[in-house]
This record gives sequence, structure tokens and C-alpha cells, in this order.
Amino acid sequence: MAETARPIVIRVNGTEHSLRVERSRSLLSVLRTELGLTGTNYGCGSGECGACTVLLEGQPVRACTTPVSHADGRSVTTIEGLQGKDGSLHPVQQAFLDVQAFQCGYCTPGMIMEAVALLRKNPNPTALAIREGMAGHLCRCGTYSRIVRAIQAAAAKMRK
Amino acid sequence: MNPRGEDDSSNAGSGASGLTRREFLRVAGGVVVLFSIGRSLEAAGSAPASTAADVNAWLRVGEDGRITVFAPTPEVGQNLRTELAQLAAEELSVPLSSVAVVLGDTDRVPVDPGVCASSAISTIGMTVRQAAAEAREILAAMAAERWGVPRSQVVVKEGRVVLASDPETAVGLGELARGQRLVRRLKRPAPLKPRAEYTLVGKSAPAIDGPAYVRGKAAFAADLRLPKLAYGKVLMPPCLGAKLVRVETASAATQPGVIAVVQEDDFVGVVALRPDLAGRALRSVQATWEEGAHTSMAALYTGLRATARLEERVGVRGDVEASLAGARHGYSASYRTPFAAHAPIEPHAAAASPQGDRIVVYASTQRPFDHRKAVAEALGMSTEKVRVIVPAVGGAFGGKDAPDISVQAARMAQVVGRPVLVSQSREEEMSWNSFRPAALIEVRCGVTEEGKIAAWDADVYNCGSRGAEPCYTFANQRVRVYECDSPLPQGHWRGLGASANAFAREVHLDYMASELGEDPVGMRLRHLGGNARMERVVRAAVERYGWEDRRPPTGLGAGFACAADAGSCAAVIADVEVERTSGQVRVRRVLVVQESGLVVNPDNLRNQIEGGVVMGLGLALREAVRSEQGRILSRSFTSYPIPTFRDTPAMEIVVLPTTDVLPRGGGTAALCAVAPAVANAVFDAVGRRLRELPLAPVRLRSVA
Repeated sequence: MAETARPIVIRVNGTEHSLRVERSRSLLSVLRTELGLTGTNYGCGSGECGACTVLLEGQPVRACTTPVSHADGRSVTTIEGLQGKDGSLHPVQQAFLDVQAFQCGYCTPGMIMEAVALLRKNPNPTALAIREGMAGHLCRCGTYSRIVRAIQAAAAKMRK
Repeated sequence: MNPRGEDDSSNAGSGASGLTRREFLRVAGGVVVLFSIGRSLEAAGSAPASTAADVNAWLRVGEDGRITVFAPTPEVGQNLRTELAQLAAEELSVPLSSVAVVLGDTDRVPVDPGVCASSAISTIGMTVRQAAAEAREILAAMAAERWGVPRSQVVVKEGRVVLASDPETAVGLGELARGQRLVRRLKRPAPLKPRAEYTLVGKSAPAIDGPAYVRGKAAFAADLRLPKLAYGKVLMPPCLGAKLVRVETASAATQPGVIAVVQEDDFVGVVALRPDLAGRALRSVQATWEEGAHTSMAALYTGLRATARLEERVGVRGDVEASLAGARHGYSASYRTPFAAHAPIEPHAAAASPQGDRIVVYASTQRPFDHRKAVAEALGMSTEKVRVIVPAVGGAFGGKDAPDISVQAARMAQVVGRPVLVSQSREEEMSWNSFRPAALIEVRCGVTEEGKIAAWDADVYNCGSRGAEPCYTFANQRVRVYECDSPLPQGHWRGLGASANAFAREVHLDYMASELGEDPVGMRLRHLGGNARMERVVRAAVERYGWEDRRPPTGLGAGFACAADAGSCAAVIADVEVERTSGQVRVRRVLVVQESGLVVNPDNLRNQIEGGVVMGLGLALREAVRSEQGRILSRSFTSYPIPTFRDTPAMEIVVLPTTDVLPRGGGTAALCAVAPAVANAVFDAVGRRLRELPLAPVRLRSVA
């Protein structure tokens, strides 16, 4: 196993990890296999479905196509790191729950991470802006209209 | 009732249900309700099955008062867990939070009688409800006996049995169950709670699994981190039907991180410390394959027709031939629907873990008992030695039936003696699983001078009989269903053949109405006389929409279709826009009016209907599996585009109330009606009749 001479240092959900892994490995593979953070899901491996979306320095990225080296020295937030210290849900998580904006729940973590980033950029998005902003995410159960509603509800709550 | 006299624990777990179930029942204190498979309220009058083999535990009242429901059908996103909990809690008059639901664990749940997932809520739901009612009666009788009063003098409410004449005298369900090792087999059905007294059923209870989903804590098969877990990758052929001639695995075995290369006949798998290392090592396997003959997809539909064998006739009535011959007008057409992929976002995955002389397989599947059987056969073990547990499943849609993935994981785990996870890549998911059958449906109709459809004659190729019998009343009808040689592996798909059959029927109805210069809905209503449920749904839809007053401008159109599936009836009206330059069809709005019997959880039903509409739009506009020389070309979400946020139209969902006591499967009926409604709307917009899915772009110039 060709490993890096120098470990890759990533801050994941506030905790720093020093990892001796191949620099070309995907961030998704490292999160899931090395760090056991399995809330971020594999859907396509090519950035087409959005299931693996995490925040890298606050920006949404597809962890399946992001080499782990891109995260070196940077901070990553996954779905596991979204809740409050007391375990309380992030308003976006709560809104997904309230609206039942899921069926099988597999695409949900990626959707939520993208929505969190979207609302940081645009705290008051129209339904159209949400659809466009979320367009790279797929839900085979077809809960899109609920996800739009959930993001709108979260936005309203977060503006208060 | 004399509960003690009905104690039947001596038979529990014997026969096919095996040792592990007996063990389970032995350790489980409390009151356990056994139930004959397949018996529902509709069959309540018949005698229960008397052999132990087909009797299983469905419900347990624990000594702590907690209720556990056991049911075979896994949770795959239909929110069955919450709805079963609601049904059980309702009948037992306990809080929803005191009910736990165990699904899809072959050691703990009743053997799956082969339930179709889309109607699980009616079959499994009814059984659970009946078992809960029975538990309530057993516990009430025990309390009555304790107090020396007749059953009629006690009431079950809020988790307790209460003496009617003295509400201070009460006993908790858990306390009644304490110290009991009662296993009851039902002798006669206990009375169900009247609908008027419902407090939980009919309310939109939150999804039990919801918090785990939004926290990323739901454990899907690929999420399991078993001790010493290794990762397997399986060598797949270059194309369908290829035979392995020669294989050289020595160089793979020496690749970094490789634990073993497993080869048994045609099966070659690499087990490694990490999934990427297994994949890398697999690429160094040198394999020679012999390709078989491939059916050209260009000749798909003629090929289906050429290989057809009559499978069954359904809905045969009157004399179709004579009626067709004597008809004033004849209308014939054929309809085509392509292979479609299930394309769940979670690819197939299974983790197998050897445990002593047993093996436990965690599989992303809808059919754990099929997987158990297949693993047992592949490993030469008895089925009792195999336990299949279904963890969270990231979508299935009928596509997670075949046991291959569990067999692959189990074979490798058995060889390396440690847990092995096999999870498919997107490309593997799209290439090596079953597809929705392609269908060719030929319809011939005869219409009388008065405009009555007197003859309906349909030949249904390759998609099966589900939904093939018309929901209308025609004096003479005949539907012949043919099995065909399929060039691609095919299996279940949400609603099975119902979506193809609905497409053919509903577009053909529309076609005849336009030829006869009649309103398409009016034509349907004239032939729905014998189908009061569907008629009600259709009338509600046209009223809600304002169908009769519609005046769509040029390029816009509205289309109607209705369908029945899994016991539900749905009418769909789609508003479409045909873009002037590209000819692309855009669906702007969809109205669904549906009747699904007893609604257990209204918001969940709407969610399922909405999802069905979105999936139906994929079938209508875009989805078709392409292949060439036995190689699937639709291997990604780019080459097989499923509906997206941008495709999702405005949706209005209306669920009609009923006095029905049976819940019906709600996720498929509207789905089946979407594609024909869209096709009919395209005709309304631009006058082009499209009879093949997916609907091609429609050039406006072809109208003039």
C-alpha cells in the first residue's frame, strides 16, 4: 500500500485526524472506511447523485470525487457533525423530519448538507432557487417537492 | 374465551420454522400471538391452518408492557414500520411509543408468504392488526378471570385493563404478561376496534426511522462495521450470458491488502482489507470469456412477439371475435414500453458474517427469506443455519429481490472465515440486476353505432397480467398474456406489469374517444358502470380540475388517465407544455385523486403517491435501458437519467375518504396512470398520438 510520507491532517466535525492514507483516495472512502463516518453515503462514485455531499471549509463537495489530499489541512463537516453539542438537530435536519422529506433516507444526509450550504449563501431562497441549488442531488423515491418545502421551512426558522 | 385452554406453546417453532424461532419463543416471556399466514379479515370465516409449519409469531406483549410486532416484509422506504406500529397500537389501545417493530430478520419474523411490497400494508397490516386485537382479547380475558368477572366487564385502554364498574381496579398489560410463557394460536378472529374509536390510525404519525435518517445514523448494509470486516469484489463478465473459460488469479492474490482470492466454478471474488484494494486486485485477474449470442435491441419488440408463449387469459367475457367482426368501428394499435432500471440510490450490498456453524447475512433486500434459502443452498447449509437480517434499505422498487449479492458475500466470508461486505458500484448496480420487463401490448377494439365499446381484445407480451384486465365494463373482452424470451434479465418493478398495461389501456381509450369526437373522460365514465370505486375517483378528479371548462392555449395540453393497483384506484390529470423549438415535453402540474381504503397515515400516503408520480414521470419522459451486444449502456445517472428536482411538477394530491376497514397499497396506482396521462396531454397539446415510452420530443410542425 503506497502511503504518503507525510500524514494527511483533516479536521472532521471539529476533531483533528492525522491519517497515513494514499493522497488519491477519495474523501468518501477515508471518511467511511478509516473514520467510520458512515452517514455519508455512496451513490454513484462520479459526482452525479449528491448522496456523498459533505462540507469542505463550509463549501459543499462530492466526497466521492474529492481526493482526500484536497482536504489536507482543511476542515470537513459531515452529517454526523451537524447537530448541536447537546444532540439537538440542526434546523435543516429538524425541517426534513417535520416535513417527512424522505422515504428510504439514503440520499437524505447529502441533501441536508447541500441545503445547509445553500441557506448560508441565500437565507431566503425562492422555491425555484432551491430547486436549482439542489439540482445535482437525486432522490429515487421522488421526495423532491417535500425537500423544497423542508428547506423553505428551515429557512423561515433560521431567519427568526 | 378461555386463554389457558388455548395454550399451544408445544407446537411453537416446530416444523419449518425451526430451532431458532423456538429458541426465540422460549426466551421471550410474555404473551405471544401466533397467526396463520395469509389469513386476513377477508378470510376470517375460514378455519385457521392447523399445522405448526405455517403458523408464526406476529406480536408479543412483553413483561415490561412493551409491544413488539414481527413482520416479514422489510422497510424499504414505504414507512411500513410506522404504519404497522400505528395499527398494532390502535388495536391494543397503547401509546404508539410502546410499540417496536421488527422487520425482515429471518430468525425473528414470520416466514414471508411472498408478499408484494406494494400491497404489504393490506396483507401484512391486516395480519398485525388481527394479532394485536387477539392480544388485547387474551389480556382482557386474563384480567377478567383474575377479577372473576365476565370479559364484557373489563375495558382495555392506555396500556391497561380496567374494570368497568370500578376504574380504580386496573392492571397493566405488562403485569398481566409477567411470568407468562403463553403462546396463543388464534382459533377465531378477535373483534377489531370500530373505526369510529380510532385515535392513532388515520393520523400522520411521524416516521419512526426519521430521526436516524436525518442524523445519518441509519445503518445501511454497507455501513455495518463488523469486527475484522473485509471487503469483497466480484469478477463480472464483459456482457450478459458470457461463460468463464479460463481465469488466472495468481497475480491478484499478491496485490496489496488482499486476503484471499475465492474461486468456485464461474465465481471469482477478491477479498481485501479495503474496498478500493479489492477492486484494484480484481483488475489484475486475467479472465477469458466466451460470449453467447446477443439479441439485438433494435428488434426488441418483434423479438418478444416472435418468442411469445401463451401464459394465461384474464378477464375473458362474451364473444370477442364475433363482436369485433360486427362492430361499426374498429380501432387497433400497439403500445410499447421499454426496459427500465430500478436505479435505487443505494446500490445492492450485503455483509456476511460467519458465526460458529451459522452465518449471518445483512442484506439490502426486499426478500430476506429468498436470500436465506439461496445462501443455504450455495453454502450447503440448512436454512436454520443461515440468518438474514435486513438493515436500512436505500430504495428497492422491486429491484432488490435476487439473492446473488448475499450469496457472493457468504461464499467469500465462508472461505476467509471473517465478515465480508460486498457493495456494488453504480456501474455494477445498473448492469447486473434485473430490469422492469419491456412490454408490447396490442389492442383491438370494436365500437358500436351508439359509441359503445363492445369488444376489447388485448395481447400482452412480456410484462405479465398485473393490471391487464380492464377496469371498465366491456360486453366482450379477452386479454391474452404471453411469456417471451427477454434479452435482458427482468424482475419485479413497482406495480409489476400494471404500469405498462395501464399505459396501453388508457392511451387507447383516449385514442378512441378522439376518433369518435367524444370527451375522453366522458367515454371512460360511460364504461365504468360496474366499477363504483373507480367511477368515484374519476368524477372527483374532473370536478377538482374543472375538466369540462378547460381551455388550454396552444402548446399546452391536459391529459387524463386512471389506474388501479394494489387495491387502490387513482385518477391522474397532467398538464403539459410542449416546447415550440425543441419539442420537449414538460409536465407542469399533476393532479392525483386516489382512493386507498383505510388510510393509516395520511401524510405518508401522500408522500408515497408523490414519489410514485415522480417515478411515473421518469417512465413517461426519459427512462429506457439501452444495451448493445449484451452490454448495458445505461450504467450511470448520466446515461440513465432519472427524474430530478427540475422535473418535479406542481402536484396536488387528493385522497378520498372511505368507510373501508382495509388499508390498501398506495404507492403504485397513481404511478401507473402518470405516463398515459402525459401521453394523452401531449395529444391534447399538439395532436400527436404517442404510443411508445419514453415519449419522444414532439415537433410542433408535424401537427400542421
